[in-house]
Amino acid sequence: MTTLRRLAVIGSVAAVTLTLAAAGASADELTDYLERSSQSTYSANRLVVSVWGGQTQISSSFVEHSQGMEIVQVDSTWSMIGNGTAMTMDDAPHGVAFVSNSEPISTDRYVVGGITQVTHMGRTCELVNVMEGDAVRARLLVDVRTGAPLITESFTDDGRVFRRSSLQNFLAYRTYSGPSSTGGAEYDIVMPSASDGLPDVIFGYRLVDVSEAPGDSEQGFYSDGLFSFSLFVLGDISSVTGFESPTPLITDTGVYDLVTTAYDVSIHWTDTENHFVIVGDLPPDHATAVLAELPAPDARSTFADWWHRLFG
Amino acid sequence: MASVNAVSPHLSMLLSCYLDGELTKDELREVVDALETDLDAIAEFRRLKESRKAVRTLPTLNVPLHLLPGGHLSEQLSAYLDGELVTAEMPAVASHIDSCSECRRELGELDRSRTAVRALPGVEPPAFLEPRREAKKRRLGARTAVAVAAGVAAVSLAFAAAPFDSGDGGQSVSIVDLESRHTARASLSTPPTGLQVSSP
Repeated sequence: MTTLRRLAVIGSVAAVTLTLAAAGASADELTDYLERSSQSTYSANRLVVSVWGGQTQISSSFVEHSQGMEIVQVDSTWSMIGNGTAMTMDDAPHGVAFVSNSEPISTDRYVVGGITQVTHMGRTCELVNVMEGDAVRARLLVDVRTGAPLITESFTDDGRVFRRSSLQNFLAYRTYSGPSSTGGAEYDIVMPSASDGLPDVIFGYRLVDVSEAPGDSEQGFYSDGLFSFSLFVLGDISSVTGFESPTPLITDTGVYDLVTTAYDVSIHWTDTENHFVIVGDLPPDHATAVLAELPAPDARSTFADWWHRLFG
Repeated sequence: MASVNAVSPHLSMLLSCYLDGELTKDELREVVDALETDLDAIAEFRRLKESRKAVRTLPTLNVPLHLLPGGHLSEQLSAYLDGELVTAEMPAVASHIDSCSECRRELGELDRSRTAVRALPGVEPPAFLEPRREAKKRRLGARTAVAVAAGVAAVSLAFAAAPFDSGDGGQSVSIVDLESRHTARASLSTPPTGLQVSSP
């Protein structure tokens, strides 16, 4: 997205009335915004648009958000997400629940670079610039009354928006339209486990904890304070379904399989021993840097792999 | 008023309870008997019904906030969450919530309670639903068996056509499962990943 378009977006959503603070605010201030955002209470329609790796994805859903928990409706399907749980509430409700006592990480990668009071859709809001160095990495339009992020924009290192999330038909303190029960839901309970050689830090993303993953594998959860990803090292897995028609992601270290959604990206590759999958909301430039610090893809192509499998 | 006095206070009370749906089985029988045989009881029943109707159709008056007990909105908060406030009440209540930290706290607690209730595990279905459930399970079982058989056949064919060494455990994992796991784990992390919007 060009600078001009970015300005137009911001100009269309907000009328600037007062600048509260200049650059130099602390990372703690960002933490406070994110904490308030997580704990806010509202219902709304959420529209998320992402442009990542040349792929454009759009998602529209109805959400009810309260106390770190969110009920999401897409068409007639409901999901419940939050506080370590992700569950789909269909005929046979099922989900996964994480148990973790990890301490929140602190990071100095980002600081709040400026807060501007604005009015958006008749609501008093604060426009918050999250800076990584001299560049804006994210821009939040936060409802003052509830702390809800009405608009969230994430930027690439060259200033293009790669993901934009906005709330429409916003109702503060209202959460009552979701399904009334999670009766009969089956959970996979995921326990923390010891790290089996996962790096403590990958391009500034710190390893928060490690959990068991399918096939005696492991999931390392990494965060840099704003974005996060999970690194799955799938040793005893023969295939990862869902990458049948991937977009090639070409970096200096090799060719990877890329699948995007409006919310996150999944990157898959194999070396001589393992399948690796990264799932997260990280920016494209961060993803490239993260991949550079991990084992490189096996040079063999998929075709060559199948050729070897069939003919030895 | 003669007709009112013609009904005993006991029956009048039962009729009122009947309208509220609060009668026991024996009391209900007593009321039904009275309404079938006693014209005074029928008249009293109609009078009670009309009174209730009249009360319901009275215009709603805004109570000044300063007259509410303690100046707070305890009872209106629940109605506010349920979207049941009349239009005229909304501005006053919303404005009070904005300015009163006590009511905001109470509103938050109310909403937390509702969220907690939603998250409660469901109760077992009544016994009379069991046969249908069992039938559904059997159908699912049959489907699973067919799917497994088809899968086994496909794998057998593949190996028969071109046996190869997979070189690993043979288990597969879905990208959807991995996304779900990441979404769940990311939602646990506070506050650093609070910005992340949840993937449905």
